[in-house]
Amino acid sequence: MRILLSWLREFVEIPFEPRKLQADLTSIGLSVEAVTSSGSDWLLDVEVTTNRPDCLSHYGVAREIAAAYRTTIRPLKFEVQESAEAASERVSIEISDSSLCARYCGRIVEGVRVGPSPEWLARRLEAIGQRPINNIADITNYVLMELGHPLHAFDFDRIQDRRIIVRRARAGELLQTLDGIERRLTANDLVIADAARPVALAGVMGGQNSEISPQTRVVLLESAWFDPVSVRRTAKSQGLHTEASHRFERGADIGMAPVALDRAAAMVAELSGGKVLRGRLDVYPAPQNREAIVLRQSEIARVLGTEIAPSEVERILVALGFAVEAAAAGWCAQPPSFRLDVRREVDLIEEVARQFGYDRLPARVRSVSPRLERDVEREKILALSRLLTGLGYREIIPSSMVDPKDNALFTNRPPVALANPLSQDASVLRSTSLVSMASVLAFNTDRGQKDLSFFELGKTYEARANAHPAEHRVLALGLTGNRRPPSVHEPAREAKFFDLKGDVESVLELFELPELRFEEERCLAYEEGLAGRFVSGTTVLAALGRLKPDIQRRFKIRAEAWLAEIDLDQLLAFPLKQPMLRPFSRFPTVERDLSLVVPMGLPYRRIAEAIARLGIEEIYSVEPLERKAAAELPAGLVPEGHASLFLHVTFQSLTRTLTGDEVDEAAGKIYSALESLGVRLRA
Amino acid sequence: MTVDQKVRQTLAELGVTESAGVVALFAEVCETMERERRELVNRVAADKAERDRACKELRDRWLARKNGLLSLVDERWLKKAPRELKPVVGQHFNALRKASEQLEVGVLAREMKCRVAASAGAVLEARSPIVAGTTVLSGVSPDLTLPSIRRPLGSMHPVTRVLREIEEIFIALGFRIETGPEIETVEYNFDALNIPETHPSRDDWDTLYVDEKTVLRTHTSPVQIRAMRKYGAPLYVIAPGKVYRHDKPDSSHATMFHQVEGLAVDRDITFADLKGTLDYFAKRFFGEKVRTSFHPSFFPFTEPSGEVAISCTLCDGRGCRVCKESGWLEVMGCGMVHPEVLRQGGIEPEEFTGWAFGMGVERYAMMKYGIDDIQLFFQNDVRFLKQF
Repeated sequence: MRILLSWLREFVEIPFEPRKLQADLTSIGLSVEAVTSSGSDWLLDVEVTTNRPDCLSHYGVAREIAAAYRTTIRPLKFEVQESAEAASERVSIEISDSSLCARYCGRIVEGVRVGPSPEWLARRLEAIGQRPINNIADITNYVLMELGHPLHAFDFDRIQDRRIIVRRARAGELLQTLDGIERRLTANDLVIADAARPVALAGVMGGQNSEISPQTRVVLLESAWFDPVSVRRTAKSQGLHTEASHRFERGADIGMAPVALDRAAAMVAELSGGKVLRGRLDVYPAPQNREAIVLRQSEIARVLGTEIAPSEVERILVALGFAVEAAAAGWCAQPPSFRLDVRREVDLIEEVARQFGYDRLPARVRSVSPRLERDVEREKILALSRLLTGLGYREIIPSSMVDPKDNALFTNRPPVALANPLSQDASVLRSTSLVSMASVLAFNTDRGQKDLSFFELGKTYEARANAHPAEHRVLALGLTGNRRPPSVHEPAREAKFFDLKGDVESVLELFELPELRFEEERCLAYEEGLAGRFVSGTTVLAALGRLKPDIQRRFKIRAEAWLAEIDLDQLLAFPLKQPMLRPFSRFPTVERDLSLVVPMGLPYRRIAEAIARLGIEEIYSVEPLERKAAAELPAGLVPEGHASLFLHVTFQSLTRTLTGDEVDEAAGKIYSALESLGVRLRA
Repeated sequence: MTVDQKVRQTLAELGVTESAGVVALFAEVCETMERERRELVNRVAADKAERDRACKELRDRWLARKNGLLSLVDERWLKKAPRELKPVVGQHFNALRKASEQLEVGVLAREMKCRVAASAGAVLEARSPIVAGTTVLSGVSPDLTLPSIRRPLGSMHPVTRVLREIEEIFIALGFRIETGPEIETVEYNFDALNIPETHPSRDDWDTLYVDEKTVLRTHTSPVQIRAMRKYGAPLYVIAPGKVYRHDKPDSSHATMFHQVEGLAVDRDITFADLKGTLDYFAKRFFGEKVRTSFHPSFFPFTEPSGEVAISCTLCDGRGCRVCKESGWLEVMGCGMVHPEVLRQGGIEPEEFTGWAFGMGVERYAMMKYGIDDIQLFFQNDVRFLKQF
C-alpha cells in the first residue's frame, strides 16, 4: 500500500522525519519497504499483512500512528449538503441474500457534470499509482485510498426501474465488467442487479451497462459490506483481483460504509456541481455488534513472560479503538468494527505487545533437559556424508522436479505429476535420482569440467494408484572422467566400473549388513554387461553401472558416466558397524602365488567362494593380481576360451609360525577345490 | 664377493648373525640395483628395440621368478634366516621389493624415453624419478618444489553446511530433529495451520498442487502438527527440509528451497523464551556481535507473530547497500504458537504454550558466503561447489 506523508498528516500529527516514521511503523507491525521522496512529499511503501485490511488506507495507517505516538486522530471534516428531494423517493434497495451482503448504503447525486478531476486530486491518485479516469470514478477511488472502504458509482439513468437488488446471480447469467470482459456467472456469485439484469459483480467490479460516462447526469453511489468468503470465491473463480475485492475479501469495516458514502457524496457535489438528494439509504438488516473479549492479566504474563502495567494495557487498547471495561481478573474489550482480525484473548495480547514494543519485552535462554536417546538416523547420515566427501565426492542438490520424458529413460516407476507445473521440463517429481545426476554431469561437462565425482542425499517420489504418493530416500553417486588426473608424477587414470563398485562397497560397509553380495544385473539405464547390484539377504541395496551411451549422448555428457543409486530407506534400517576388536596374529605371514588357467565363463566370485568354503583358517587373504584373456596373451600360453589368473594368497596363523609344508598343503587344497570348477594350474 | 655371489649363500654361510650385518647386506644389494638401473637409463639408446631388450635383461636379472636376484634373496636370506633375524630381514626385503618396482620394463622404458627426448644437451642427472622409497636408496634428491600429489577431497553442498550448523546449535539446546513428507496433504500444509482456503492469507503461499487435496509443502510448518500429534507436549523440535513454491525462478526466487522450522511447546514457554533463544541462535550463527530486533508481523499459525531482524553483518548496523541503509536484515519469521494450532496438534492451549520459527536456509547461506544468486545452489556447477 502506497501512503503519501502529506495525506497522513491530514489526520495525525507526525513530528518526525520520514526515516523515523519508517522505523516506528515497522516496530508496530506495519513494515515499510521503502521511503521515497515525491516532489515535496514523501511516499511510504507499507507492507500490510493479510490480517490488517484496516490499514489499507491513509486513515487506517494514521489511526495506528496516533496510537503509537500517543496522540489522537483528527476527525474527518466534510459536510453533505442535501437537496429537498428524498433519495428514497427515487430508488429502492433490496438485499435478497443478507448472508452475503450485510449492509448496503446508497446516495443519489443529480445534476453532475462528468469531466476530468481537479489537478490536486489527479496528482494524489497518480502519486500512489492510481490512474485518473474522470471526476466521479476518481472520487470513489480517492475515498477508497483515504478511508479504505470500496465504493461504486452507477449511472443511475441506466438502472432499470430504479431498483437495486443485491442477489445471487442466476446460473449462466452474463455480465460485461468494466474491463470489457463478458463473464458467465454462477449461483455462487453475488451481483448488484436492477429490475432486469446484473449491473455489477458485488465487491469486485462494476458492469459496463451502468458505467459512468460523459453523458451521466445522475449518480448512484454504493457503499456496502460484502461477505469476505463470497467475494474471494467470485474474484478467484473469475480470475479478477481488484482494489475492492482485495479489501472485501480481507474484511471491510462495516461501520465505515455510511461514512465513506457521505464523504464521497460530499466530494461529488463539490467537484462535479451535482446536488445530493436528501437522505442516505441504509439497508442493514441485522446490525452487527462485536462481542467483547475477556482479557486476563495473568494470560498476558503467561504469553509474554512479563507483567504489563494495567494502565498501559488499557491505554493501548483504548487508543486502538477498543471499548474497554475492567472485569474480575482483567478486562472486557470490545473490538472496533474495523478490527475483524481480533477475535480471541491472544489477539488482544498481540495488540498490547505490538504497541508496547517487541524490543522492550524481556528475553531469556534456557536449554532443555538433556536427551537420553540418540539421533541414530542423523549419525548415519553424517557418517555417509563424511565418508563420501573423504572419498572425493562433492555433494549436489538438484531440483526434484524434472521432465517426465527424461525420467522415463531411467526407470519405469511412475513419477508424481504436478497439476500446475511452471514448465514442462519441471512438471513431475522424479522417480529416480539418476535423471538428476545425469543432468548435473551434463551441465558440468558442458562447461569444460571433466573429472567429476558427485553424490546426492535426496528423495525420489512415486505415484501410487488411489494412495498418497510415496517418498523414498536415496543416495546417488555419479562419476565421469579421470579418477586420477595426470600430473608430473603419475599418468592419468580414467574412472572405471570398479572405482564406483569400490565406493559403493565403502558406503555399504559402514553398516552391519548380513550376507552382502554383488550380482550382475540388467537395468533400464545401464549398459548391458556393465551393471550390477548389491544385495543383502533378499534386500536390494544398490544398483550401479555405466550409463547407456545413447542416454549419455542425449544428455550431452562428454565422457562415459558411471552412476549408482543406493536405497537409503533400506540401508538406514541397518545398524552402523560397531567396532569390536578381533585378535590379530603376531606370527609371520607366508605368501604364495598361484598361477591359474580359468574358463572364461567362470566368474571370480565362484573361485573366491570355493576357497572360502574350504574353511582354512590360515588363509589371511586372497587377491587376484592379474587376469588376462587368451587373446591378450602370446598365442598358446592359455587355451582358447580361457584366461590366466594370478592369485596372490597370504597365509598366517593366530597361534604359530606356519611351516612351508603346511602352506604347500593348504595351497594344494585350494588347487583341488578349484579343479572341480575347471580351473587348472598354468604350466 | 660380488652381490651375485652373496645372494646364493645363506646368512649363516655369510657369517651374518646380527641385524647390523643384515642392514649392510641389504644396503649393498640396493646400491647395486640402483647403480645398474641408473647405468641403464643413462645409456640413452635411440633405438627402441635396443632399449626394450636392455630393459628386459635388467628386469629379468633382478625380478625373474626363477633365479632372479630378488627371488634368491627371498629363498636364501629370508626363508633360511634364523628366527631372531627374520623380522629385520623381512622388513628390509620388503623395502627392497618396493624399490625393485623401478625395474619393471614399463617404468624403465618410460624413463629412458624421457631421457632420449631430453638428450639434446640437457643435464640429465637432475631429472630423477620421484617414487616412494627410492629417494633414500638412490641418494638423488627429487625437486621438492614440484606440486604435491593430492588425493582429491570432496565437499558438502553449502546448503547442507548451513543446515548442519543450524541443526547443531539447536541440538545443543536440547532440540530433536524431525522430518515430514515433501508431498503434503492440504490439511497439514494449510488447514491445521489455521490457513483456511477461504482466507486471503492462503494466497501468501504460491502453491504447487498434485491434486485438490495434495500439495508440495510450501513450508516446513506442517511438521509442527505432525510432531505435536506424534509426541505431544513438552516438545522441542526443529524440522529441516525442502519446500516448494510456484514462483518463477530468478536470482532471489527458487521453486525449491530449504527451510528450518522450530517448535518449542511446554508449560511455561513465553515470548521471552522465543526472543532469548532466537537471539542466542543469531549470535551463534552470525557472530557474537550481532544484535537482534523483533517486530510484529502476521502468520496464521502464530499469535503474537513477529519477524526477527539482525544488525547488518556487513556494516554492523550503520547502514549500507546490503541492508538498504536500514542497518537491519530480516532473517526469520516467528511467534507464539496459535492456540488453534496447538489444539490441532492435540495439545491443550490453556495448559501449554509454545513458540515457533521458520527460516530460509538458502538466504542464510547467501549471507554467510556472499552468494547473490539463489539459482547457483541448484545448478551444481562444480566451480561453485568446490569453494565449500
